[in-house]
Amino acid sequence: MTELRFPREVYVGEAVDEAVKTWSRFAEFELSETDDHWVVTVTPKHEAAARQIIGEFGNFVLGLTIDRGGVS
Amino acid sequence: MKLINLAEIKPRPGTQAFFRWRQIGDNAVLITNLEGNWLILDTAEFTQFARGEVEADSELHGRLLDKNFLRSNYDIQAAAERVKARKYFVHGGPLLHVMVVTLRCNETCVYCHASRANMDAVETDMSIETARKAVDLALSSTNGFITIEFQGGEPLVNFPVVKEIIEYATERNKEIQKRLEFTMVSNFALLTEDKLQYLLANKVQLCTSIDGPEELHNAQRKLPQTHNAFQAAAKWIKRVNEAYVEIGLDPTLYHVEALLTTTKATLDKWKEVVDTYVGLGCKTIFLRPVDPFGFAERARLRLEYPRGKYLEFYRNAVNYMIELNKQGVEILERYAAIFLTKILRGEDPNFLDNRNPAGAGIGQLAYSYDGNVYSCDEGRMLAATQDDAFLLGDVDTPYRKIVGHETIRAMTIATNLDQQPDCVNCAYNPYCGTNAAYNYKAQGSVFGRMRDNNVCAVHKGIQDFLFEKLAENDPEVMEIFERWTTIRPREHFVQEPGAAAELAEGETPSAD
Amino acid sequence: MSTDNQTSFTDIPEAVVSVAATDRSVSMVVDSELYPLQAVYGASYIFIDRCYVFIDRPEPGKYRVTLTAKESVEEAEALRQLVGEYANELLSCAWRHQVTQDNRVAIETVTVQAIAGAMGEPSLDDLADFDFTDEALDDPLGIAQSWEDKHGRKSPAEKEQAKAKVPEGEAAEATEAASTEEASA
Ligand code: SF4
Ligand code: SF4
Repeated sequence: MTELRFPREVYVGEAVDEAVKTWSRFAEFELSETDDHWVVTVTPKHEAAARQIIGEFGNFVLGLTIDRGGVS
Repeated sequence: MKLINLAEIKPRPGTQAFFRWRQIGDNAVLITNLEGNWLILDTAEFTQFARGEVEADSELHGRLLDKNFLRSNYDIQAAAERVKARKYFVHGGPLLHVMVVTLRCNETCVYCHASRANMDAVETDMSIETARKAVDLALSSTNGFITIEFQGGEPLVNFPVVKEIIEYATERNKEIQKRLEFTMVSNFALLTEDKLQYLLANKVQLCTSIDGPEELHNAQRKLPQTHNAFQAAAKWIKRVNEAYVEIGLDPTLYHVEALLTTTKATLDKWKEVVDTYVGLGCKTIFLRPVDPFGFAERARLRLEYPRGKYLEFYRNAVNYMIELNKQGVEILERYAAIFLTKILRGEDPNFLDNRNPAGAGIGQLAYSYDGNVYSCDEGRMLAATQDDAFLLGDVDTPYRKIVGHETIRAMTIATNLDQQPDCVNCAYNPYCGTNAAYNYKAQGSVFGRMRDNNVCAVHKGIQDFLFEKLAENDPEVMEIFERWTTIRPREHFVQEPGAAAELAEGETPSAD
Repeated sequence: MSTDNQTSFTDIPEAVVSVAATDRSVSMVVDSELYPLQAVYGASYIFIDRCYVFIDRPEPGKYRVTLTAKESVEEAEALRQLVGEYANELLSCAWRHQVTQDNRVAIETVTVQAIAGAMGEPSLDDLADFDFTDEALDDPLGIAQSWEDKHGRKSPAEKEQAKAKVPEGEAAEATEAASTEEASA
């Protein structure tokens, strides 16, 4: 289990949701938020690929954020 | 390549008109602007440009001014004219209409899975009724130019429907009066002299596949029993080329074009591939990388390769072709010709997969044997693997509903490079294109992600190669490139409204 | 993390405030006054094929970009190169961002003249033909729901999920429209 804290000033919330949907095949996700962060708890389904799953998930959120023009 | 260090250069915005840049050599930086003008600067010149320190009476200032790179003198009118010339196709509507007249095929190709059915699968033949409706839909396109491309499977397997499409379309075109053309992509193994005469009389442009030297071709494209697929194709390439001469056509302009599918096994055979094409009398090679649509997942490992390997193959092959051209052999590479036409002539050859926005739905439509209509041929192949994401309707759906489909809208937005995160900054943006169906298949979204997108890697690598050549500025090579971008229209293949159908008399070939 | 793994950076590029590294990743702090977020996005995006990229805000006025190599790296030198490359990209993106801002009016004018100009005025026939009931107009860019969601391949489980979900406002309408379409297809 890894907690990722995406700052709201950098990451778009919809991008987080979208990425969670896409990656739900590979990991369990729990979502919560604070005033400053989108908080995602990631539990990869495949222990051996955990590092990769968490890392690619983070890239995916960033990629989608940029696709959407970022936080304005 | 020693990378340019911007921290040392200390660029200052303010004097430059909108531009993008890419380092293409140790001492060469490409700059391109909004309308696709380009210049290659050495590091010292680039530094002056970046800092806004170009002397007003310098030679560099003249070049920058001439190509519209200076903000203070930016010529909006000239830029608009050039962008307009490059984007003339945006309002055209679908011109390429791919008609899959059957999935049945006599060949079994290693990379072809979704696109073919066995010879007894007659249920995958297009019916006459569907064919007529497909023609009606195609001819209702807003585009004044219409090309109907016969595909399969092997289109010669369902020859009666090919004939029906030709004759019905030509007949209908008497009143509609569009510039109508037909092309056929065939492995030629089922061609007969009678069929050839019919296709010639009806001005059908013929195109085949050659995967390289005989051994490689036959290993990848198999005919049943003892038949030799390479020899079958080679025999007919020769015969068709002769036939063009017999009817008085200029052989430098009219000859069979062949398509290559580059697999892992092709990569170190670049010389043999080029020699084979030249030996067959082909004047063009299209060095296409294998795409992920046709084949089964399990074939992927055997056929796929890293894109870096492909680019090495590409460079070797094209360098060799340039050498041959220097010795008087006429052979061009299609990708290079497409990019160079945009780079050197400021025109768009309207190659639908390499356009911005891409051609799916707004430049082409694909009609499956069962009457379903897709945004593009890739969309049709994807549907054969149970994913009908790119299905727009069927031959009974009204034209406006097809082209106004929200899938087309999504694909057009997705392939607009000015909204793609990487492409907005890429110096190749004015000459490039992306493919929504490919992005969807390979990366899960029509937008894709250019950073690890194979089509992007190929486009970037080819343009790197071409701009390196342009930077070298070897007069002989420049002259060859100039020739590669000279488009001579093949007027013979345009149907004269009202004339062609009478030529359609003769035998009725049995469909094997 | 032992201190042995720390890579020391003696030559920090100008664009970067500070650098910290482990054996596999490197974090750079960037001044957000000097570098707009768009430039940080642009530079970061360039690394997502090679690295796992994460951006956070260690303190107000700063971005921290962490690049973690996907493949194992050849120790310090490779990381040092990443830092140099990132700094270069950041400068390039910031510069291009400003060039684009400077020329925004020209870009828009050229585009409008070249593309929109060619369309001409709509004719009366165009207007008569126009389908004002076109439902997609409510959401022309498919913002309420992505195209892949609506048209892409769906697993049975996803279909169930989509139906079970009760979203709000516009998104709810779009999802409803999508599932009715599916039902009638
Ligand atoms: S690639 Fe063409 S010739 Fe080969 S099996 Fe597929 S349909 Fe037949
Ligand atoms: S697809 Fe790749 S090469 Fe083409 S413009 Fe985009 S980033 Fe550049």
